Amino acid sequence: MMTTPPDPEKLKERTLLAFFLALFLFASPLTVTWASSGDSWLLPYLFWLVIIVAGAWIHFRYGRHDL
Amino acid sequence: MTYDLEVLFGISIAYLLLLFLIAYATDSGRVPERLVRHPMVYILSLGVYATSWSYYGSVGFAERQGFLFLTIYLGVTIAFLLSPLLLRPILRLTREYQLTSLADLFAFRYRSQSAGVIVTLFMLLGSLPYIALQFRAVTESLQVLTQEATPQPIALWFCIILILFAVLFGARHISPREKHHGLVAAIAFESFVKLVALLMAGLFAVFGAFSGFSGLAEWLQQHPEATQALYKPVREGPWLTLLFLAFAAAFLLPRQFHMAFTENTSPRALGAAAWGFPLFLLLLNLAIPPILWGGQHLQLNMDPDYYVLGITLAQGPKWLPVLTFLGGISASSAMVIVTTLALSSMCLNHLVLPASYPNPKVDIYHWLLWSRRLLIGVIIMGGYVFYQTLEHNQGLVQLGLISFVAVAQFLPGIIGALFWQRASRPGFILGLLGGIAVWVLTLLIPLLETSGFISNAMDLENLRQHSGLSYWEFATFWSLTINGALFVIGSLLGGQSEEEKIAAYACHSDTMAPVSGVVAARSPAQFTEGLAGILGKRTARKEVQQALDDLGFSADESRPTELRQLRERIERNLSGLVGPQMAHVIISQRLEMDSLAKTALADSVRYMEQRLEASRIQLRGLAANLDNLRRFHRQILLDLPLGVCAADPEQNVVIWNPAMEEASGISSADATGCALGDLPAPWGELLRGFALAQDEHIHNMELELYDRTRCFNLHKAKVLDTNPIPTDHGGRTSLVILLEDFTNLSNLEAELAHSDRLASVGRLAAGVAHEIGNPVTGIASLAQNLRDEDDPEVIRESIEEILNQTGRISAIVRSLMSFSRSGDSGIGKMQEFPLHEVVDEAVRLMRLTPKGRQIEYLCNCPEHLRIRGDRQGLSQVLINLFTNASDASGPGERVELIAMRNGENVRLEIMDRGSGIPENMQQYLFEPFYTTKAPGEGTGLGLAMAYKIIQDHQGTIEIDSEPGVGTRVIIDLPMNQP
Repeated sequence: MMTTPPDPEKLKERTLLAFFLALFLFASPLTVTWASSGDSWLLPYLFWLVIIVAGAWIHFRYGRHDL
Repeated sequence: MTYDLEVLFGISIAYLLLLFLIAYATDSGRVPERLVRHPMVYILSLGVYATSWSYYGSVGFAERQGFLFLTIYLGVTIAFLLSPLLLRPILRLTREYQLTSLADLFAFRYRSQSAGVIVTLFMLLGSLPYIALQFRAVTESLQVLTQEATPQPIALWFCIILILFAVLFGARHISPREKHHGLVAAIAFESFVKLVALLMAGLFAVFGAFSGFSGLAEWLQQHPEATQALYKPVREGPWLTLLFLAFAAAFLLPRQFHMAFTENTSPRALGAAAWGFPLFLLLLNLAIPPILWGGQHLQLNMDPDYYVLGITLAQGPKWLPVLTFLGGISASSAMVIVTTLALSSMCLNHLVLPASYPNPKVDIYHWLLWSRRLLIGVIIMGGYVFYQTLEHNQGLVQLGLISFVAVAQFLPGIIGALFWQRASRPGFILGLLGGIAVWVLTLLIPLLETSGFISNAMDLENLRQHSGLSYWEFATFWSLTINGALFVIGSLLGGQSEEEKIAAYACHSDTMAPVSGVVAARSPAQFTEGLAGILGKRTARKEVQQALDDLGFSADESRPTELRQLRERIERNLSGLVGPQMAHVIISQRLEMDSLAKTALADSVRYMEQRLEASRIQLRGLAANLDNLRRFHRQILLDLPLGVCAADPEQNVVIWNPAMEEASGISSADATGCALGDLPAPWGELLRGFALAQDEHIHNMELELYDRTRCFNLHKAKVLDTNPIPTDHGGRTSLVILLEDFTNLSNLEAELAHSDRLASVGRLAAGVAHEIGNPVTGIASLAQNLRDEDDPEVIRESIEEILNQTGRISAIVRSLMSFSRSGDSGIGKMQEFPLHEVVDEAVRLMRLTPKGRQIEYLCNCPEHLRIRGDRQGLSQVLINLFTNASDASGPGERVELIAMRNGENVRLEIMDRGSGIPENMQQYLFEPFYTTKAPGEGTGLGLAMAYKIIQDHQGTIEIDSEPGVGTRVIIDLPMNQP
């Protein structure tokens, strides 16, 4: 994956966006919606994977620098 | 299928010995460093989060609460997703200030030993049931495999082995700067085993119980209630509460804090863990539903908490239950070891040391290390006693969640520490005590009641039912609401001490504490002396040397800023040894600040610049813009071709730019912070003297530097402090000294002057030929006459005449030689001489030129008028002025020179009645290469040279000219030059 020079502001912005995505999937009325449909037992794992991919993308794109 | 207890015990011992081997090989450097420091090892070591509760209990949790079991890992995922905003600041603090535990962090931020004590006690209280739970999981798993009651000594042996491991590999070093790589490698290996074992169990459930994924899908189709049972609690259960508790536990549990921050070797690894650790947890939990359904499908007759073992035991190969059992051992042992290490560090720093600080004669390192090892033993045995006395009628998850609610009580405190500068000690302590009280009432007392320790406790069940909240929601909501409310109210009303304000600045990455104070000790040796009283001589010497090495300072460092940095560094290093609050007390008592001494501006500027450089990446918005502006101004000073030396009101150097470095040969690092007078010779004396002197300029100062004469001009200006806020330096004046090195310019001027003289000589050449030709012709005639002359009287007269003529020739040659001689820069040899001699010589030379012969020179210079100066230089001035006057005059016109005494000066006026100079040109006349003559007729250097020479004589030169009337040049020269 391509890396760009570290930009703390962008890192924080993207982190917050991913955080809100996680809240949207797991701590919003959407949670009840997907829990009600209950089609496949793998659904929560799929959403979980989406969050992990978002975290990995942020890390590789913006966060690969020391403190 | 059953197993012999002895076999399983032997396998467990062999497995734990393997862990010893891994830890030993890592610590002794047999494992490549690249592998040890790889982010994967760090990520796996964070897997200590998954204890026996996760390993065994998740299946039971899923059976009872469906997908609610996922919240315990989804909360962690969200916390790690927020790593750049939440975990990195904590890591920065723990690394910078050598904080080894959450209690250290709170004691540091809220500057309170009480905070450390309360946090430690509460952590102990919340963790002991959790440690007990691990022992229970190990004995119960043995029971499942052997189908018989586990003898009590098994748990005790397990305890002893864990104590040995924790002591040998978790307490090798006392300082947090030295990481326990062996321990981390072993814990990472245990996580790997857990993951493999659970995945194997999951795969076995799919392929062993259901004949593959299609079989599982078919079973799920036939039993839709199985999937529905997983989803139902998501809609109806305390999903959000558990998500929140896991979010807090992800970094506040002692073992998580220890692995994530204390044992972290690279901040990059934390970034990788932001996604790597959640991925590990996802894989770990992927197997849980198939194992649950496998157990249900096989209709296992056991507690679902142990389906992981039971399912493999029912049908699988003989090695599989052993592998899953080892996974359970891994989960339990890792949790107990790491939690104990974290708790032992807290207990040592916040309970043992404040109560009984060792005698300075004792080797403190030794004392600390063995105290910590003793505490490890005591805590693990405490967990064992708790396990022995607790009734085993609580699910694994229940005990785990009680601990989760306990650590969630630290959430307001940590959020306040990182993001709220006004958060204060009274608020933190009040809030925490309030939260603990609710936790005890709603969770601990019911647990103790269920376990038979107490009876007739306060019944809150009716209250809970009335509120409509579930058990966990009720406890979490009320404990955190009361905690948070008291925290905010206490912080707003309680206020902060000065020390707490500084700590708040340190925790808040966007701000910076103001600098003030000077350390009373004036050298590292005095530091050692001061600390020896409490640390002992050997330890004090070692700590001071360590801090000097960390900072790259020498043992004879004496600059105030560097000494303050040394003091800070020692405090941080001691914080790693004895905790932040104890370190602060030691440093405050033994290395006092000089309350009378004011912080030198030089120190403040350098200190702030260093801090700004270090934290630049954190500046945002207006602060970032102001910092850019500051850098721009600083760069201007650095890039100036003039030497700049700024000194504060105490005459300490604040700025010493590269041009100054080049001119003086003193580096900025050496000069900055030094008093002006302490700079190496000759600069110290020179700059200090100039700073004190009334004069604002020194011109043409010559210094012998590196066997070469250098020429400088010095200028100074006062800088008034315009800061409207009163400071240590308020109202006083600083100083800026500019150093102008014009050595090269001076050399160039000398060369130009010489060229100008040679040009004049060239112009004189024709006249010289003519002037010398006449006497030579005369001499030739006289010599011819002498050949035939016998009359002695005529011969004598002829010889006299010849001598006369040769005298004329010699005078002309001498004048030319003198005039064309190459001169050095500036003023030449100073001597006293009659002014008329120079005037006559100039006129004589002028008359050698064709133009000069057409002009009448009228000189009125009294013979008694003497002057002290550079004879050759003044001769040059007169030649140049006469040349200009002659060029402006027509044939037969007169050029007059009048010399007179004017007070202490001699005034010379040279007048012509020539064409005059237009007014718009007069202002440029003294500029080099500016000429009013036609191209090729003038170099433009004559008046510039004259101006320079007169200035060198401390004199003045003015030109009064009117076009069509003529020009008058007025020169005033002091009669006596120094």
